[in-house]
Amino acid sequence: MAGASTIHLRSQALPLRATAESPVAKAVLIGITLVFLGLFLLLPLVVVFQEAFSKGAAAFLHALRDPYTLSAIWLTLLVAAIVVPMNTVFGLAAAWSLTRFRFRGRSFLVTLIDLPLWVSPVIGGLIYVLVFGAQGWFGPWLREHDIRIIFAVPGIVLATVFVTFPFVARGLIPLMEAQGIKEEEAALTLGANGWQIFRRVTLPKIKWGLLYGVILCNARAMGEFGAVSVVSGHIRGKTTTMPLQIEILYNEYQFAAAFAVASLLALLAIITLILKTHAEWRAERQLREATR
Amino acid sequence: MSISISNISKSFARYPALNGVSVEIASGELLALLGPSGSGKTTLLRVIAGLEFPDNGGTVSFGGCDVTSLSAYKRRAGFVFQHYALFAHMNVFENIAFAFRVLPRRKRPAESAVRERVGTLLEAVQLTEFEKRLPSQLSGGQRQRVAFARALAIEPEVLLLDEPFGALDAKVRKDLRRWLREFHERIKLTTIFVTHDQDEAFEVADRVILIDKGIIQQSGTPAEVRSNPANEFVRDFLDLPHK
Amino acid sequence: MNSRAQKRCRRHALPGLGLTLGFSLLYLGLVVLIPFSALFLKTASGGWPHFWETVTSPRVVASYRVSFGISLIAALVNGVFGVIAAWVLVRYRFPGRRILDAIVDLPFALPTAVAGIALTALYAPNDWIGSWLKPLGIQVAFTQLGIFVALTFIGLPFVVRTVQPVIQDLVAEVEEAAACLGANRWHTFRRVIFPALLPSILTGVTLAYGRAVGEYGSVVFISGNLPFKTEITPLMIITKLEQYDYSGAAAIGFVMLVASFVILIVSNGLQSWNNKRHGIS
Repeated sequence: MAGASTIHLRSQALPLRATAESPVAKAVLIGITLVFLGLFLLLPLVVVFQEAFSKGAAAFLHALRDPYTLSAIWLTLLVAAIVVPMNTVFGLAAAWSLTRFRFRGRSFLVTLIDLPLWVSPVIGGLIYVLVFGAQGWFGPWLREHDIRIIFAVPGIVLATVFVTFPFVARGLIPLMEAQGIKEEEAALTLGANGWQIFRRVTLPKIKWGLLYGVILCNARAMGEFGAVSVVSGHIRGKTTTMPLQIEILYNEYQFAAAFAVASLLALLAIITLILKTHAEWRAERQLREATR
Repeated sequence: MSISISNISKSFARYPALNGVSVEIASGELLALLGPSGSGKTTLLRVIAGLEFPDNGGTVSFGGCDVTSLSAYKRRAGFVFQHYALFAHMNVFENIAFAFRVLPRRKRPAESAVRERVGTLLEAVQLTEFEKRLPSQLSGGQRQRVAFARALAIEPEVLLLDEPFGALDAKVRKDLRRWLREFHERIKLTTIFVTHDQDEAFEVADRVILIDKGIIQQSGTPAEVRSNPANEFVRDFLDLPHK
Repeated sequence: MNSRAQKRCRRHALPGLGLTLGFSLLYLGLVVLIPFSALFLKTASGGWPHFWETVTSPRVVASYRVSFGISLIAALVNGVFGVIAAWVLVRYRFPGRRILDAIVDLPFALPTAVAGIALTALYAPNDWIGSWLKPLGIQVAFTQLGIFVALTFIGLPFVVRTVQPVIQDLVAEVEEAAACLGANRWHTFRRVIFPALLPSILTGVTLAYGRAVGEYGSVVFISGNLPFKTEITPLMIITKLEQYDYSGAAAIGFVMLVASFVILIVSNGLQSWNNKRHGIS
């Protein structure tokens, strides 16, 4: 899937030209856009914060200090701290092998990496239940050895890895493809080994694209709901992440508390957008300079 | 360092770039590989360099030793890329010093030694006052000279240049051609450069090899080739009158 | 090490292929291929009668209508308004344009559960927009209309972001030539601009559709999950799992996978058409 998880060269808006629309048409189009984007994007964001504070700031803080909520926050952070580095290493390895070399089956692999973006997140959880769940392939073996994967943290980590592994790779692949390998070849002729080439030549070139992918990967890892919902078992205090905690609070009609937790994630989303935009801009600039 | 190439073939996804090419290059020679785009000249240069490996059967030898499966660095082949391939995030000094920085620890010279050697190289290419600049702050001709100096840092036995002046404008090209000729007179390094510009090849090189469609069409000194074109292709490419 | 290297007929100059490709394949194998083969095998092991009975049961079929049908409508609406938004964001300058442009990516960054409860609160009958629509007799939350709203939210960035680069690269001279030949702005749009944008619009719509079909978190809150009316197919999978009907869940999952695969193929085809027209190789 294209969209915000790949970097493309974007220039700024064109200045007004002779063949522009009439002022009336322009106003109408801008109006439609403002209503459309405002209604579908801005308004929900406003609702989150408004509802979070609907019972006052004291209630807001109280909701966040609830022990189950705190453990949900902790679990979310823990999962992200495991998943993001893992997927970053994968993204770097995959991008290196797919952009620095040509081999048969390469485009199949590129498509395979996009897979999680195409399947429902519920399927992302289902597949691990089918492997590790009570009736799954390893179910009996795991029960024998008293290892819990489904309805425990490892299952949540796995499901989150599945839905987020494309992001770093997709941030890097088009960038590294466009940058070409001449600098790496030059480093090779000068005596650098593989690790030196990567560290001294490639990494500085890709750092903004890498950051872009990591930011998106993190946002998705912390916010994943569908896949985690399937594997977690919703055991309060043990296997609820923040999104699941939101669901629990909401279903118990504790709306203000649910929105309080949601507002933290919404704040994360806003920060993500800011960082992502900046990283994307820097990566584009680097790419433009390289292709000059 | 003499170079011997024997029966090199190379295909890219069924497209035959080189077809049984064999060349002998004497030590200290300045050789031009001349041909149109897609003729295989750059592929041949890269095979000599060790940036591509030939399909089974061919061999590349430096000074009598078979280097066919050695990496580029182990062959001591300095390579200058068509668009310089300078490290964009490093300044001129660090670009040239790169070869020293990546040496294994026990062979790595002290910082003062690095400064000295980079300084010498900068003088050789007349870019001493630019050492702190980034490549984006240099002109095309200056970048080309940095690329030269960087390749020379490994004290190569062989110097390989891929269309070194192709991306520059006419006056800079003329100056650099002269500079390359003088440089070669001073330091008799076996040098091979690839070009599609026949004036350049004839003006600079001791010997010219014409390539088309992955096959060597003719090899000889500029005078020889001009007076005795071997076939139709050579005659056409050099704009010589038909018999 | 040297003699080993000399014996091998090395084919790549740059190092690291073996290590990075090996690791990537291992990772993909463990995370993707093995679990997915479990899906296929579980589907098969349930037996054909059970498979057929599950995927054609009335409640599940109703969920197909909801998931696949409403996603299509949402994707098409995004197609129309997304193009307008892309045009406005690229061609016009107005205060707040940059911020609006950045916010287009919000559905990517915002967790689906947060979007889900926000949209529900927004359109529930007693508050916000829901309360304005109530006297008009329109209910959004807990109806298919609510599902439509959620799926439009989810698909919004796809059309906008796919069309924006194409608009940016539209060559001014072509429009000016049309104007010189007497075309008014609408004609120019219809005959010159729109055909150039069509491949990217279709690509964006397909991407939005593919995403909407599988969407769960943003939809389950606002949908109300009424059987036969507002249940989405991913929810059916979860329902089967809760009943410990693993092979039933796998069966529905299989159907969704096949559908996603078809949408993927169509989208890839459209994307290469788009790239060809757009000039990217």
